[in-house]
Amino acid sequence: MSEFILEVENLKKWFPIKRSLGELLRGQRRWVRAVDGISFKIKQGEAFGLIGESGCGKTTTGKLIMKLLEPTDGQIVFKEKDVTCLNSEELQEYRRGVQMIFQDPYASMNPRFRIREVLSEPLYIHKIGTTEKEKMKLAAKALQEVKLTPPEEFMDRYPHMLSGGQRQRVATARTLILSPSFVVADEPVSMVDLSTRAELLQMMKEVQHVLGLTYLYITHDLSTARYFTDRIAVMYLGKIIEMGSADEVIDHALHPYTKALIAAVPEPVSGKVGIIKEVPIKGEIPSAAEIPQGCRFHPRCLYAKPECWDQEEPELFEAEPGHFVACRRYKEIKKDSINEKVG
Amino acid sequence: MNIKGIKDNFRDFWGEFSKVKYGMVGLVLFFIFLLIVVLEPILIPFPEAGKRWRDITYWEDNPKNAAPAWTNWFTTKKLTPQSILDDPEIKEKKAANTQVLEAVFKYDYFYDVPPIDLILRATGKGLINMVIELERPDGLTLEVTKKSIKLSSEAPIRVSLDKEGTSMVGEFLKSYEDPVILQGISMSTVKPVEVFFVQAQNRLLDNPVPLKGEYRIKLTSVAVGSNSFLKEPEITVAGRVFGLMGTDASKRDIWSGVIAGTKWALLIGLLTSAVAVVIGVFYGVTSAYFGGTVDQVMMRLYEIFQSIPLLPVMIVVSAVFKPSIWTMILMMCSFFWVSSVRTVRSMGLQIKEETYVEAAHALGASNRRIIFKHMVPQLIPYAFASMALQVPVSIVYEASISLIGLGDATIVTWGQILHDAMQGGAVLQGIWWWIVPPGLFIAIMGMTFAFLGFAMDTILNPKLKTR
Repeated sequence: MSEFILEVENLKKWFPIKRSLGELLRGQRRWVRAVDGISFKIKQGEAFGLIGESGCGKTTTGKLIMKLLEPTDGQIVFKEKDVTCLNSEELQEYRRGVQMIFQDPYASMNPRFRIREVLSEPLYIHKIGTTEKEKMKLAAKALQEVKLTPPEEFMDRYPHMLSGGQRQRVATARTLILSPSFVVADEPVSMVDLSTRAELLQMMKEVQHVLGLTYLYITHDLSTARYFTDRIAVMYLGKIIEMGSADEVIDHALHPYTKALIAAVPEPVSGKVGIIKEVPIKGEIPSAAEIPQGCRFHPRCLYAKPECWDQEEPELFEAEPGHFVACRRYKEIKKDSINEKVG
Repeated sequence: MNIKGIKDNFRDFWGEFSKVKYGMVGLVLFFIFLLIVVLEPILIPFPEAGKRWRDITYWEDNPKNAAPAWTNWFTTKKLTPQSILDDPEIKEKKAANTQVLEAVFKYDYFYDVPPIDLILRATGKGLINMVIELERPDGLTLEVTKKSIKLSSEAPIRVSLDKEGTSMVGEFLKSYEDPVILQGISMSTVKPVEVFFVQAQNRLLDNPVPLKGEYRIKLTSVAVGSNSFLKEPEITVAGRVFGLMGTDASKRDIWSGVIAGTKWALLIGLLTSAVAVVIGVFYGVTSAYFGGTVDQVMMRLYEIFQSIPLLPVMIVVSAVFKPSIWTMILMMCSFFWVSSVRTVRSMGLQIKEETYVEAAHALGASNRRIIFKHMVPQLIPYAFASMALQVPVSIVYEASISLIGLGDATIVTWGQILHDAMQGGAVLQGIWWWIVPPGLFIAIMGMTFAFLGFAMDTILNPKLKTR
């Protein structure tokens, strides 16, 4: 068996834009290129982080892997099996192995369902457990796994009667009840109180070790990503621009965009609170419908030179062992920033 | 789900429902309507009101356009209410070929305005000679009429004392009334019954003083012939005020009509709205959920149905087939479902995009499961509200069809009563008791279902929950 549980190859998702009459007559088509050819491999048992601003296509990637969306192009391989195109039976089988935790724990549960119904739904769908009693036993076990004890106390509540952290635990329990081997966690803690974030992530880590899970952790939050993940991929406008181990990417960022992201993280440390940071980036993220020529980051890059927009878009390449970057001038930029620090 | 689960769910639901006050009001009203339907034979004085609503002979003993009896409480001049004297003292003698029957009816009269008529009803056969006498509280005995009837087979007998008493009253007036006045009037304008119940004195025609007390009406019948007989005599006092809700221009008891119409209103309203809303909800959800071409085709079909005006279609259908309540319900069901489709579809489009639907997809839920478990339950409050609104609409539609004379002639509905009231000029004549009861019943029934709908909304929509 390969060491990789999930392999994504040149995955693309283009959404068509509604055409005007003129475009329709001329036969033109325009696309929003939400995910524009990404490739990565996730090792068995690791936590892989996918980081980027909102609108960069990270959630779309998650949904593509979940098969909630059909890819425009590319390939997804799960456990050495091509899962890009599946019939309904294979899809059902795939979904037992791959589960998702959604960002908003309130919206991801039907407000009319009690916790017992939320948890037993996957069991009904996949016909696990013959009797009601057996299903409830499994549900109670799942609640214990996510540290919601005693389970009986939560079974008959509605989602709106729980706190954000508790809801997210229930959502996690719902995904775990099918004992999947791969979980897509789409910003699982971004809507949870800061105080319970660490606790929740700790719980997810524990579950990972106990059940041998692999995570795809999607977030815009670098600090939790570093804490939670082993490897990180940074996305910008539908492409991965840097990928490597979590410590390497955050401590020795090569791409100017990654650097900007790291610089933008606020630090609640005395002496640094009052300073308004100068973030080394300009402008807003461009629309995915009109991706800039050449390097897609150049309009916002402080180091951009004509070669950046005149030449072909740089591909992801291994700059340092295990550390990939998609910037042709990363060495010069590195020097620049060192000079700046010295100067 | 097992039986215990359903039981628990129901108990939960009831616990919530009993806290919503207007919901309880709606439920109580609903049960009152159900009770009315069940107890209909006990509640109405005319048990065949529903079946014989348009049979004028069934109603002929009643006064026309009479106000409800309780209006007497608010007037100084008391009008005689309708009553039936069916408990006479009977003495029967049978000889070889004759039957002699003597029946004495007692009637306590203590009103200011006399009844319209006294009607004797009985069943008889053969040659029957009848004498009807009236004994007044002042000791006077009037021989109202002598009558001879020949019936070849057993048949009902009906004698109006008002019609038969004309000649006797002429004699009576000659003895008491001022001759000068008598010369000036025509006997045909004198109503005998009005003379029966006034004091025998001068100027009794233009200044009547009611004679109160116990009247005795004595019927003596002699049936000649071996098979001749007369039985079951009774007298109807045709009053000037009538029952709980008065009568209409066709002498029909409005109370009986309204009560007999309750079951039809419930049937038309509930059946039509339930079927229509169920179809509409599933149609709208299916259209929203599948989207794309399915949605396009379904919406075009919906638009076709929506743009066909129902009334002409119903007129044609009623004209081609026999006008019947069932054809009407069928027609309404097949057109009313459109009313909820648009809203349901737009709600469905919204629900479809909810994260929990996506989460259900991610769990591998089937289309059917998502539609029935996740989408339809969200629409139940709306469905109930929509049903509640549809109930009165259906009733009014049925009334509209009745208005143009294509209603089901075998039954009586509130709409038909209102229609008759409109045609009878009830508004212009101030016959409010013809309009208010059916109107009020329609309004209360609409309110009942609106209350129930809103209460359901409060309970089934967790975001409106107070705890």
